[in-house]
Amino acid sequence: MKTETEFVKGNEALALGALKAGMNAYFAYPITPSSEIPETLAKEFRSPEYPEFKIFLQAMNELEAINMVIGAASTGAKAMTATSGPGFSLKQEGISYAAAMEIPFLVVDVNRAGPGLGNLGPEQSDYFQATKGGGHGGYKTIVLAPNSVQEMAAFPALGFSLAFKHRTPVLMLVDAFLGQVKEDIVFPKIAQEKFETPWAATGARGAERHLILSLHLDFEDQRKHAEHLKSKYEEIDTMEQRSEEYLTSDAEVVLVAFGVVSRLCRRAVNELRAKGVRAGLFRPVTLSPFPARGLKSLADRGIRKFIVVELNVGQMVYDVKLAVEGKGSVDLIYKLGGFLPTTADIVHRVEMASG
Amino acid sequence: MTTLQDKATGEYEVKLGRLRTLTGKPTHYCAGCEHGVLTRLIANAIEELGLREKTVMIDSVGCSVMAHEYINVDAIQSPHGRAPAVMTGIKKVRPDLLVFAVQGDGDAVAIGLLELIYAASRGAPITVFLVNNAIYGMTGGQMAPTTPRGMVTTTTPRGRDLKDTGPVMDASKLLAGLEGPSYVKRVFLPVTPMGSTDLYSARGSLEGAKSVLNAFKVQLMGGFSFVEFVSTCSVNWKMSVLESKRYSFEVLAKLFPPGLYVDKMGVEKK
Amino acid sequence: MGQASGLVQKSMVIIDSEVCKGCSLCVVTCPQKNLKLSESLNRIGYHPVEFHYHGDKGDCTACGLCYWVCPDFAIAEVRRLKQ
Repeated sequence: MKTETEFVKGNEALALGALKAGMNAYFAYPITPSSEIPETLAKEFRSPEYPEFKIFLQAMNELEAINMVIGAASTGAKAMTATSGPGFSLKQEGISYAAAMEIPFLVVDVNRAGPGLGNLGPEQSDYFQATKGGGHGGYKTIVLAPNSVQEMAAFPALGFSLAFKHRTPVLMLVDAFLGQVKEDIVFPKIAQEKFETPWAATGARGAERHLILSLHLDFEDQRKHAEHLKSKYEEIDTMEQRSEEYLTSDAEVVLVAFGVVSRLCRRAVNELRAKGVRAGLFRPVTLSPFPARGLKSLADRGIRKFIVVELNVGQMVYDVKLAVEGKGSVDLIYKLGGFLPTTADIVHRVEMASG
Repeated sequence: MTTLQDKATGEYEVKLGRLRTLTGKPTHYCAGCEHGVLTRLIANAIEELGLREKTVMIDSVGCSVMAHEYINVDAIQSPHGRAPAVMTGIKKVRPDLLVFAVQGDGDAVAIGLLELIYAASRGAPITVFLVNNAIYGMTGGQMAPTTPRGMVTTTTPRGRDLKDTGPVMDASKLLAGLEGPSYVKRVFLPVTPMGSTDLYSARGSLEGAKSVLNAFKVQLMGGFSFVEFVSTCSVNWKMSVLESKRYSFEVLAKLFPPGLYVDKMGVEKK
Repeated sequence: MGQASGLVQKSMVIIDSEVCKGCSLCVVTCPQKNLKLSESLNRIGYHPVEFHYHGDKGDCTACGLCYWVCPDFAIAEVRRLKQ
């Protein structure tokens, strides 16, 4: 059977994946290294192949863009925007509001080195911002972390599905390398999901009106709302933890990594195995909810060494420590500046740690 | 044809020379870009006023993000679009300093339009130089608020449609409509083709040099000054350097007419 | 610096060839056509501009227009004979 592989750049695959998932509206603001997403969508806008794609609008800054997304999504439309570090910071206010108002949409952050303007190389330093609620107030979002151009194509559909199922903003945390790299992929044939949106604000003709608010001046109202969000997040935590494991069943040391780093770690695991080190890989696919159960079961099973590899000074490492509950050691291999560690780097560090 | 030795012989004086206010570092700007020209005009004005050690420049985000590499004064990086706010902060606590920012049409007219309007409205004693080349340069050629109808950019691949994207934004006219600014000027900076001859006019640079100096003088007298430089972006417009000058002259100069829009202190008469 | 006829050049333009990007703005602006892009390449890969005192349309007058239009400070100095 002939499969139609296409050689596509990560950002383009994400854009096309969103179109194939039936996205209705995209609000853009360019920022390197995410600009290929709006540029691809601008090219495909009004193409007969994507009749659901009705709105493409370039906003004048990321604040405009996220607020346009909030507007469109409040009516039940599938809306999305993409950005990188400095723009992601601007969007945090909007994401906080949307989390409170339970509005579903997709925001993509293509993580470049930071803080500040940083540079254009890949980092994973927006992890805290994405997973711990980078805006004000206590809220969570679902955060997906693809590690291949194939996943870049598939995750928008998954993202919209989760967003509408749980009425929450969904973030995709993509490292800059993945946004820019080209790989052979097969675009998944997805049936476009139609989501029920009984809560949406579309004009209360013949029905009770819908209010989409985040202000609850009455303290008891606010408390009830916050408790509701809390139980929602607990439900998401129970249902949506996603991860992938490689050679963990007999592993003595497990690498923990997401995004492009997980690909390097997979190669490192193979090289370590060839050298007689029983290494394995645990790859979080959702960063929020963090796949703590999967890690915990590895620790419960007797794995005593975990090594987190990430492109920041140590962010996911804390979630791994919490998940492992002190049953094993959790060390960190990190790389900064927009550099990627080499497989040899990782292998060498693991060998040194294994003693 | 003689080629000359690079050595002052004592018989020659330097009429126009190297500026201390330039670091001398080769620029990253594309060949023929007005950012480079403006850099020289600014350095020249600072040197003429003798203010190199009393100036703080703000790098904004866009092609001017590395302006501090070329202009030899203290510099602060501003977040995208926020330069007028950053400069207002500086001047409030250090009114003795000369502050300025070079902003692009994205930085000043899109993401930073609010900051620009309010600094101008307040008449903050700061100077903004807008390099308007009708496209987002640094990020690879996306539509700007000043992109003309029909121009092909990476986010308007079929040409800008004003019905979808809104009208072309005229920053000078917008600011001229506010009470606060003391000096609003628009200069056509590129070399200009001159009809039948193959000679190009350099009056843009000369007018630009005067305007930069006037803008600084207005700030020193306590007013808000703004100079918009209609420019070019040959790489993202996908034209040769000279073609881009012609396009700018034939299209942008008509869309954004050069002129003196506000001069409350009469600095051009002096 | 004398010429065979005994006349002295009234001006000179000092060029930093290594920063020139061959944009040719000075070439098209010079009224006397004293500036031309050279055949050779500089270190950064452009054809840098060269000064010719006797231009196609006349001798250099040290008007300085080249200095003002150059985006790269390649036209580093415009010198003229002291009076």
